[in-house]
Amino acid sequence: MKGVLPSIVTRIDQECSSSKGEPTPEIEKNHVHRVYDAIAPHFSSTRFAKWPKVQAFLNSLLCGSLVLDAGCGNGKYLGLNTNCYFIGCDISSPLVNICAQKGNEVLVADAVNLPYRSGYGDAAISIAVLHHLSTELRRRRAVEELIRVVRTGGSVLVTVWAREQEDRSLISKWTPLSQKYTEDWVGSSSPRTHSDSPSFSLQSIPENDESEPRGDFSDEHTDRTCQQEYLVPWHLPYHRAEVSGTSATALSTGLARKDDKKGAVVYDRYYHVFSEGELERLVSSVDGAIVVDKFYDKSNWCIILKKI
Amino acid sequence: MRLITHNMLSSNIKGVTNGFPLRIQVEKVVEKEVDFNPDFLRNMFAKIEWKALTEASKTLGYADLPEETEPLMLESEEFLRKLHHALLELHLEEGALVCPETGRKFPVNKGIPNMLLHEDEV
Repeated sequence: MKGVLPSIVTRIDQECSSSKGEPTPEIEKNHVHRVYDAIAPHFSSTRFAKWPKVQAFLNSLLCGSLVLDAGCGNGKYLGLNTNCYFIGCDISSPLVNICAQKGNEVLVADAVNLPYRSGYGDAAISIAVLHHLSTELRRRRAVEELIRVVRTGGSVLVTVWAREQEDRSLISKWTPLSQKYTEDWVGSSSPRTHSDSPSFSLQSIPENDESEPRGDFSDEHTDRTCQQEYLVPWHLPYHRAEVSGTSATALSTGLARKDDKKGAVVYDRYYHVFSEGELERLVSSVDGAIVVDKFYDKSNWCIILKKI
Repeated sequence: MRLITHNMLSSNIKGVTNGFPLRIQVEKVVEKEVDFNPDFLRNMFAKIEWKALTEASKTLGYADLPEETEPLMLESEEFLRKLHHALLELHLEEGALVCPETGRKFPVNKGIPNMLLHEDEV
C-alpha cells in the first residue's frame, strides 16, 4: 500500500492539466502567497547571508550575462555578480517592492508560467522556490520554464529544501501533512478519488511542538523519514505584525495563530521537501537540458543544468 | 521597468499565440543613469528584438535609435551609448503593458510590472 498513494497523486497531476496553466492550489494561496505577503519585511530582514554555492555559480558566469532569478524573494542574489545584469521576479508583491527599493529590476510574476519570451537569459536561478509548489506537475512546469527562458548553452541553478535535514530537531517543529491533502486543498478543479474528506483545521494545529500530528494520517504518513509534505512555522513578532492589517485578518480567518509565550503571530508555510534523488529525477523528466552538477549543501538538494 | 525587461516580456494569457511585444501605455517616465558597459551591451544586442525596442523607446520619448542595424554598429561608441540609454536608463514608472492580442492591461506601478494572470486567464 505504501507505494500506491504517491503514484496515484502523480497520476492525478498529469490527468488534471494538459495545458500550461492551471489554477493555483489553495494550499499555495494560503500557505505560501498570503504568508510571504504578510511576513515580507520581517522575512527580508532575516535574509541577508549569501549562500556561497549560489555566489560561486553566479561568479562562474561570463561577464555581461543576463541572469533571471525566478522566485527572487527579497532580492538577496540580485546584482551579486556586478559583471552581470539581473532581472528578478516573485509572486509576492510586498517582496518585489522590497527588491525594487534596493534599485533592482523586478516584476511580479509566477514561476510556473513566466511571462518571458524564450531564450533571452544567459542563466536562471531558482533558490528555495520549487519546494513551495504543491504538485509534481507544477514543479516540473517551473523547471521547464527555467530551461525555456535561457539561451541554448545557458545555465540553470535550482536549490530546494531536503527531506534529509542536517539538523533533525528542526523537523520536529514542522507539522506533517497527509498526502491526501491535495484532494481538499488543491481546489475544486482537481478530481476527487476519495469521498471522505479529512478535516484538517489550522486551528487544531497544536502549539506544542511534540504533539502528535492531526488529520487523517495512517501509520506510514506519520513516519517522518518518508514524510515530504509539511507546514513550517514562521514566527512574526507582535511588534512586526500589523495591528489592523494582514495579521489581524489572518488571525480571524485561522490563517495564523498567536503564540503569546513567544510574542509572535505564527504563520505556516507549505513545503514539499525533496528526497534524495528526487530533484534529479524531476529535472531529468524535462527535455532540453542536461545535468552538469548536483550536490547536497546545508540541508538543500542542488542541481545545475545546461540547456542543449 | 526598463526596456531591457520590456524586450523580454510576453503576454502568457491562455489562448494567446503571440503576446510579444506588449504595447506600452505611459503615465510617467523617469530617466536614471547607469554605468556604461559596452561588453554587456554587445552581449545583449544579439537577443534584442530590435523593432520592439525602437517602438518602445519612442513611446517612452527617446527616438534616437536607428531603425535598422548592422553588426559594424557594435564598434561604434555613439551607437552603443544610444543603445545603453534606451535599454537601461529609461524607466516606465507608472503606466501599463498591454497584451497585443487581448488588450488586457498589466499594470506598472513604481516601476514594477505585475504580470500575474487572473484565474480565468490561466
